Amino acid sequence: MKKLYFVMALLIVASMILSACGAGAPTAADCAKEEVFCVGLVTDVGKINDKSFNQSAWEGVQKSNTDGVADVVQFIETADAKDYAKNIAQFGDAGYDVIVTVGFGLGEATAAAGLTYPDVKFIGVDQFQAWQFTEDTADDSANVTGLGFPEDNAGFLVGALAAMMSESHKIGAVCGTDVVPPVWRFGEGYKAGAAYADGMNATTTEVFVVYHSDVGFDKTFTDPEWGAQTAKSMMDQGADAIFGCGGLTGNGAITAAAQAGKYAIGVDADQYLTLPEAAPRMLSSAMKLITPGVAELIAAAKDGSITAGNFTGTAGYAPYHDLDGEVSAEIKTAMEDINAGLLDGSIKTGVSPVKP
Amino acid sequence: MQTEKQSISLTKKILQAISDASLIPFLAILTAVVLGGIIIYFVGGNPLLAYRGLLEGAFGSTKALSETAVWATPYIFAGLAVALAFKGGLFNIGAEGQLAVGAVFSALIGYALPEWLGFDLPTIIHLPLAILVGMLMGGLWAGIVGWLKAYTGGHEVINTIMMNYIALNTTSFLLNGIMKDRSPTNVIARTPLIAESARMPAIFDGLRVHWGFILALLVAFFIWWLLNKTTLGFEIRTVGLNPDAAQYAGINVKRTIILTMALSGMLAGLAGSIEVTGLNYRHELGFSIGYGYDAIAIALLGKSHPLGIVLAAFLFAAMRNGASRMQFLTQLPVDLISMIQALILLFVAADAIIRYIYRIKAKGERVVLTRGWGG
Repeated sequence: MKKLYFVMALLIVASMILSACGAGAPTAADCAKEEVFCVGLVTDVGKINDKSFNQSAWEGVQKSNTDGVADVVQFIETADAKDYAKNIAQFGDAGYDVIVTVGFGLGEATAAAGLTYPDVKFIGVDQFQAWQFTEDTADDSANVTGLGFPEDNAGFLVGALAAMMSESHKIGAVCGTDVVPPVWRFGEGYKAGAAYADGMNATTTEVFVVYHSDVGFDKTFTDPEWGAQTAKSMMDQGADAIFGCGGLTGNGAITAAAQAGKYAIGVDADQYLTLPEAAPRMLSSAMKLITPGVAELIAAAKDGSITAGNFTGTAGYAPYHDLDGEVSAEIKTAMEDINAGLLDGSIKTGVSPVKP
Repeated sequence: MQTEKQSISLTKKILQAISDASLIPFLAILTAVVLGGIIIYFVGGNPLLAYRGLLEGAFGSTKALSETAVWATPYIFAGLAVALAFKGGLFNIGAEGQLAVGAVFSALIGYALPEWLGFDLPTIIHLPLAILVGMLMGGLWAGIVGWLKAYTGGHEVINTIMMNYIALNTTSFLLNGIMKDRSPTNVIARTPLIAESARMPAIFDGLRVHWGFILALLVAFFIWWLLNKTTLGFEIRTVGLNPDAAQYAGINVKRTIILTMALSGMLAGLAGSIEVTGLNYRHELGFSIGYGYDAIAIALLGKSHPLGIVLAAFLFAAMRNGASRMQFLTQLPVDLISMIQALILLFVAADAIIRYIYRIKAKGERVVLTRGWGG
């Protein structure tokens, strides 16, 4: 009798599995066809919903799907760095037209895959294409486009915001080493943005920008204690808005500012979502707009206008979230105007690409 | 006539033993796969398509087979590491850290030694040296825990876990610091590439499977030989089964515990060394995450027998390797694979469930994998 139950249970399970059979539509199978435009995304080690680079890039791919640019979109999450090449090959072998790889870590694997799959266009998010600036043409790529961002614009936006929000007219930024060009652009953009806001409102804002250039590369982005200390000393001098730009060092500064009840400003992604300990006081973040950048490049890949090398996307600023009520309507409008000005080129940050 | 009969009955006996030993794991895998299928169905996936992807990704092409072997290689080494400790009555949870130590030192020898010496070494010296140093440092790392166990009674479970923290955080410190790749565009925590002379060649052109895989199989055989055919192996097993009896029989228990732990650590260190010299050519924080913990599962599933471990390592490797194909076909999260693996383990560990479902009577004595907390 018991045996009979067991056989019945097995049969039920089997029927469930079999009934599930017809459901899946193997859309990816059509990618080898010329007329089907397919986009695959390979994440860096981590999840697709990381609220950071992976997720933003995937949203860009999804946008290209809803916009009707891409017919099939698919992602693979990388569980181990040694799978980079294999995961890219899944898409390459299936005849995908565009492969998006997310993060600096995939840079080498992406460059190698570019040679293996010459007909595929690769979009490397945050992958600087150094070959474009070298004399040597041997390692030039014909089909890899690195998506980078105008960090000075992002810094400019939050600098202007901080200057307008500050009551003490003293604001600070705690950054990693200025030897790294993006960090320099964030910091100097911040200064320029504050100066621009001063010009608009006839105020005088004192801006403290400190780069953690006194230590080696090993320490400059991973020193939250120093970041917190530096932020505190700025706040002791009266600063009431702190921009943290530089990995964990910046996060230390942001968190210290938030704990002191001052305005905290994040970097790269919307750190309201990724740095919960500072979220209640997170005014905004200087953002790299990965989602539209990826979508734009995919569209360019489809119409053939994409070029290999470095592509500069757009910068932006994150929503005010919990502090939305504290930001006046005038400031919100001013921010929108500044953003529009940066986008159409009528406002220039005047920041040189690297530290002179 | 008589001898022929004997040999037939011997073959039969061996076959019987193999089928007895593999019956529970086999049924556990089967049950877990069916249960996993049901779960896939309920999260809205297609179980058959998912499993097809898994199989294709693991075995569907020469490239897939090669990648499965690539995945299996560290699993075999690390699985053997945990199993050897099991045999000696020790629970080595520290394979993760020992692996990292092995990888770091192999990478260091791989990229820095030619700089220190000022001249290039031939592969025949450089490569074995890089592997050997990594292996020995892994052994030293675990040997410390063995020493603590033997002379202070400090429990190896606690100490190996603690040593993992030390190893992994020190690795992170080194890879972010003095060992970091200094090339101007690099922003991630990784060592420079090791010299060509420290790299293990691939077995076939165009495929990533390297000689480390063959080495893993040879080492598995060596461990079987060591455990079953040598005095040291006998001592390890005796101490594992009953240290008091071993002491009474004149075995130096303290020495054996330290040796067992050191050998176990050497195997785990080897896993890291081979990953560096055979596959990645550098060590990076994103590499080899969780192998040391998977290894515990592999040792359990393989019943601590070297052959069982090779098979279990292949199973895990196939699942890990096939996972990306599965996700490609179904967009199911790769975490499902971890879940199915966990189910397999659950059923192997709690074999009463399997015995109950399939009405199998327990036969003979139970295998003692490790002694409990009492030590």
